Amino acid sequence: MKNQYIYILTFLSLIFLPACDDRLDVEPTLSISEETALSSSASVSKLLVGAYEIDGNAYSHGGYIQIYSDLLGADQEVSWNGTFFEPREALTKEMNAINFLFEDSWRNTYKVISQSNLVLGNLDVYTDDAEKGRVEGEARFLRALNYFDLVRLFGNDVHGVPLRLDPITDYGSDLSIARAATSDVYAAILDDLSKAISLLPEDNDVYADRFAALALLSRVQLYLGHYEEARDAAEEIIATSGKSLSASFADAFNHDEDGEEDIYSMQVTSQSGENQLIQMYASEENGGRGGDISINQPYLDLFDDSNDERSQFFYENAKGDRLSGKYTNQFGNVPMFRLAEMILIRAECNFRLGTITGASPADDINTIRQRSSAAPLVDVTLNDILLERQRELAFEGFGIYDIKRTQSSVAGLPYDSPKLVVPIPQTEMDTNPLMEQNEGY
Amino acid sequence: MRPTLLLFICMFSANVFGQWALTGRVTDQNEIPLIGASVQEKNNTTNGTVTDADGRFELILSESAQALVISFTGFAAKEVVISRATSDLSVSLEEDVSLLNEVLVIGYGNSSKRNLTDNVALLHSEDLSNIAVSNFQSTMSGKAAGVRINQTSGKVDAGINVTIRGTSSISAGREPLYVLDGMPLINVNESSNGAPMNPLLTLSPSEIESINILKDASSAAIYGARGANGVVLITTKKGQAGKPLVSLNMSTGISSPTNVIELLNTAEYKELFTEAAINTLGPEDGTAEIEGLFDYLANGTDWRNNEVDTDWNDIIFRDGQQSDVDLAVSGGDLKTQYYFGGAWNTTKGILVGNDLDRISARMNIKHQLSQKIAAGMNIGVSGAKIERVDNDNSFTSPVEAIAQSPLSPVYNDDGTPNANTLYPNFLLEDLYANYTTKLRRITGKVFAEYKFIENFRFNTDFGYDNSHQTEDQYRGTLTPFMSTNGYAYNSNVTSENYIWSNYFTYENELSRSAFLTVVAGQEFNNSNRVFATVTGTQFPSDDFQSISSAAEITAGTGANTTYNFLSYFARAALNLHDKYYLKASIRRDGSSRFGSNERYGFFPAFSVGWIVSEESFLKNNRTLSFLKVRGSFGQLGNSEIGDYASQTLYNGVSYNKISGIRLEQPGNNNLTWEKSKQIDLGVEFGLFNDVITGEVDFYTKNTDGLLFSVPLPGSSGQLSFNKNIGNVESKGVEVVLNSKNIRSKNLQWTTSFNIANNTNEIKSLPNGNADIITGETINRVGESVASFFLPEFAGADPATGDALYYTDGAGSATTNAYEDANRIIVGNSQPTWIGGLTNEINFKGLVLSFTFIGEWGASIFNGGGVYQSSSADYFDNQTIDQLDRWQNPGDITNVPQARLYGQNGTGPSTRYLQKGDFIRLRNVMLSYNLPKSLTEKVNVGNARIFISGVNLLTFTQYTGYDPEARADFDSYGFDHGWNFYSAPQAKTTSIGINVNF
Repeated sequence: MKNQYIYILTFLSLIFLPACDDRLDVEPTLSISEETALSSSASVSKLLVGAYEIDGNAYSHGGYIQIYSDLLGADQEVSWNGTFFEPREALTKEMNAINFLFEDSWRNTYKVISQSNLVLGNLDVYTDDAEKGRVEGEARFLRALNYFDLVRLFGNDVHGVPLRLDPITDYGSDLSIARAATSDVYAAILDDLSKAISLLPEDNDVYADRFAALALLSRVQLYLGHYEEARDAAEEIIATSGKSLSASFADAFNHDEDGEEDIYSMQVTSQSGENQLIQMYASEENGGRGGDISINQPYLDLFDDSNDERSQFFYENAKGDRLSGKYTNQFGNVPMFRLAEMILIRAECNFRLGTITGASPADDINTIRQRSSAAPLVDVTLNDILLERQRELAFEGFGIYDIKRTQSSVAGLPYDSPKLVVPIPQTEMDTNPLMEQNEGY
Repeated sequence: MRPTLLLFICMFSANVFGQWALTGRVTDQNEIPLIGASVQEKNNTTNGTVTDADGRFELILSESAQALVISFTGFAAKEVVISRATSDLSVSLEEDVSLLNEVLVIGYGNSSKRNLTDNVALLHSEDLSNIAVSNFQSTMSGKAAGVRINQTSGKVDAGINVTIRGTSSISAGREPLYVLDGMPLINVNESSNGAPMNPLLTLSPSEIESINILKDASSAAIYGARGANGVVLITTKKGQAGKPLVSLNMSTGISSPTNVIELLNTAEYKELFTEAAINTLGPEDGTAEIEGLFDYLANGTDWRNNEVDTDWNDIIFRDGQQSDVDLAVSGGDLKTQYYFGGAWNTTKGILVGNDLDRISARMNIKHQLSQKIAAGMNIGVSGAKIERVDNDNSFTSPVEAIAQSPLSPVYNDDGTPNANTLYPNFLLEDLYANYTTKLRRITGKVFAEYKFIENFRFNTDFGYDNSHQTEDQYRGTLTPFMSTNGYAYNSNVTSENYIWSNYFTYENELSRSAFLTVVAGQEFNNSNRVFATVTGTQFPSDDFQSISSAAEITAGTGANTTYNFLSYFARAALNLHDKYYLKASIRRDGSSRFGSNERYGFFPAFSVGWIVSEESFLKNNRTLSFLKVRGSFGQLGNSEIGDYASQTLYNGVSYNKISGIRLEQPGNNNLTWEKSKQIDLGVEFGLFNDVITGEVDFYTKNTDGLLFSVPLPGSSGQLSFNKNIGNVESKGVEVVLNSKNIRSKNLQWTTSFNIANNTNEIKSLPNGNADIITGETINRVGESVASFFLPEFAGADPATGDALYYTDGAGSATTNAYEDANRIIVGNSQPTWIGGLTNEINFKGLVLSFTFIGEWGASIFNGGGVYQSSSADYFDNQTIDQLDRWQNPGDITNVPQARLYGQNGTGPSTRYLQKGDFIRLRNVMLSYNLPKSLTEKVNVGNARIFISGVNLLTFTQYTGYDPEARADFDSYGFDHGWNFYSAPQAKTTSIGINVNF
């Protein structure tokens, strides 16, 4: 009799366990599935927030994108003191396709684009048109911003970068893609921006608003030499955005929250966001690596007035290197568009066009100078305006682009030297058979 | 002799009257009494006793008793026919000299080596004990053919890679499955500091009775989807019937690095960098620039007169120390056997700031409730506390201090670490920060066995494994890169694994010449992991180090992941005439890790064996005493790709404290296990009455549907896509030779040698066989997995001192433009040959044993070479090869001209690649068994004193720290053969004593 119970028990146990088949369906708790992510307007809006988060990564607008431009656009003005040579390659203009920094920036920038595409491809779930318009506008802004930096860094006048405007639905399919013509990339950027400007509200918390899109448009048009369009966009911001220059030059930087002069910034808190500019420009006490990039005398020589606050906006680290005061708040936001840039664009475009839309070039330049206690100029030349840009906007990511668009030179290299175009990362070459490498790599 | 069921039942019901007593004595062949030998009535397993101190026993026998079974560990069991006429039985057992009679654990059962058609390597506790390493994996090194044990570095907690028969996977896990007493062990690295830790560090080698390594498909297929990388079955110690045995082992030793690399001294450093600066910037600017730097580095000391000449090696390394104590009590009677043991290990690592303390305890108990039911419980608990140092790719990792300039003083005048060094002084981290990891582990099982009839039984095992780890990091205000008034990080992870196995075993003699064993059952395995971290900054002062004192909590994470396996398995083995063997097994596994379309897999295996020496034509051959040929085929799986690898995942992120989500992983519903088809052909032989025994195996492993994290173009916005695609074929041969060279009364000498060759070839790859290039390695069809893919370095241009590269491999034209040099395949990160040689010489109780290991065919890429041997590209101190640099036109050298910031030859090339071949004296031990006359006086059974060494000798051409050290961050070390400021292994000498009461 006893045996029977045991027989029954053991066989029961064997029957019971197969009933656990459904235990093989295990849902992750940290993540959500595609269906959930794309099914509601609430979650697509969260995808949009995710796109900002990706864009704020160190490899994108968290800082590296800006740093490459400034190192490429510099010669003796700055030193690279960091221990790894990858950023130094941009300063010495001896770049390599295997440089992992360029690769990570390439990847991450496309990641923002991909996530923006995902948002734009799933707008049908919105029922509220205003909400839908805002989301579309922001996603288009982010996509345009990232294509603009990609094509400027990795492309030249003719060869752009791969252009994807739709979400990828099957990552198992062949994802090879050829480079688009530079003109096609710019056409896409301008299309995104014109739509973003019409869709975005004038006030949108810390996210991209209509003025952010206008500021980007102004910057793009300036780069393309479309001075009227650039001037008009800048003018609209200066006239209607309500932004104003901060009281002092120092006040324009190291914000925990956007200041009166900030049109758009990447948000950094102690808990989220990355500020690579701090990492590379700041001392250890200020949260950096100790001053990987230090500022040399040739940059100071650009100043014409010793009272100019901007010529003194530096401090020394333990080694005695001169570090920029623009990046001293470890968890400060990364400024992307300041009103000062718009004033400088308006001045330059007015000058080039011979117009005085909004203000005369001299007035604009002196507005900028007087804020930093520099003596006003009586007459301004184009060179004065371009110099003023360097004094005001240095280390904010304008370096190589200003050299390219004004067709000047750096470190003995002409603006169109292939050495000033970042190589397509080797991993892209290794995984994308349709990709073509830049000249000289 | 085996009763049929009916007969058995008849006998069973007739044992109630007519009992009778028998006395006797059990000795070895030299008439020395055997204490604690088991004496059992045949076919009545509950009736038995053990011999006393004189080898004597008395047993009351049942009416029907016809024979006794007498057994003792290390001796061949003997069956003795008895009758009522027998009086004072005298039995002498013969020492079991043949390895063929060893019992191997094969998963859900046992088998003798002789009857086995599989390739299984067996290691005994004697092979593993008294080796001064703190993890059990390292004790296996060199002892089993084709099993490579690589501890990443000389850190006490360093991760361990165990590779059985080479790598057959590219992206999925490559570690074998560890099974402890039937319980699959959690073996997931949970380290948060970037460097992997050995999760099995908690298991003390002293708890282990034996390790069986299942290497071929026929043996491992019973573990199905988890068997493709081999299976390591660990059996813990159990009690034997007999008097309580108390064993105490104590040892202590000191350790130092196996090797240090030579760096420039102050005079050489100054000369090199002055020259380099002048070469780049001209005499005036160059001298000014470099002297400015020397001023900074010297920190106020007189560098012009070489006041300071620091060899940072002296600061990084220290004399390590290791002490082990373990105590165990075991014993029991025929019904109940018990084992209690405890062990303590404390290791002071060779790297400053790296320590381990471990305490562990185990209790194994088994009780025979009745003729039919036995039950028991094994439980092991342990705790380990590890003081950790940063990963190799961190400025504050100790070994990175070799990049510091010799001009820099280590300390300030007041004794605090000098903060004004080229890189942050790691002593600031050592002194003002701590990173403590605590591991706690409970691994246990309860089990029961029910015998329906003598040859048909049911086993149910419920196992539970709990691995709990906490990490506490605090970085004080004086640590490098400190800008937040202190920083604390805590993590807490608990992994739990429970498994319920139920299986039936049927063993029966079908006829006189056919014996059948069948095992069938099922198993459910649930594994759950809960993980949480919290990070805080802004502490009132360094006196407050707990996270609750942080004014700002800056990060918190949490995760909860699960996977389940549901499995059915069966195995049948048939023995015909004790010379023909057939075996088949099948397992069906279902796992939650795989895509909904591909959730279940079948894993069959077949094998055959033929003991040729049993045939009449060989039966009495004097030379060839044993010959067995065997062959097997099986299919295995590899499921180690992470818990949710098949799913499209969106993760939560935060931007400006607002939540968002982002696409983290594109999914693939067709994702399934890697399937590995393996064929093994083996020959086992014994020569001269098994004085020499050996084994030769040839195998192929064809792994199909490689779980591949296919790299995607960056322009797609995603890094990779998990796909089953690609095929790798591995081939290998393993040779094992064991020889009893001398077997005289006073001198015994045995030798055990193994060598294994393993090569693999990629047969197909994703995206139309497109190359997959990751850093310095490539996966290319027709080549080995993870081959090095680099431009060939051609030395310095004799005319200019420029670094030269071959445009297309050695012998082609050279170029000084790095980008014009094509990359070629120049080596592999995995060795092709590995071997071990163990000798044991016993002269009148004085025993010398030693094991050499060797590896050939692997290359190591020095990822730090670009900083250490860089023609003074940057201010890092350089290795002494830089003394041979090009200086004047006409110089013929491999070291290009020194150029500060010049990147002269710093691109990754074969310049930084070296062969990692080595032979190493892994362990050596000299021990002495104290004579009985002495031990009896102090009432001790036997006592042994020993002196032992680990890694005492190394023979290699490799010029880095250690051919067994690899980078410990990301996958650079193991996957890509990188060394990056990786700490050399420890060289340890220890003394100890083993005492049995």
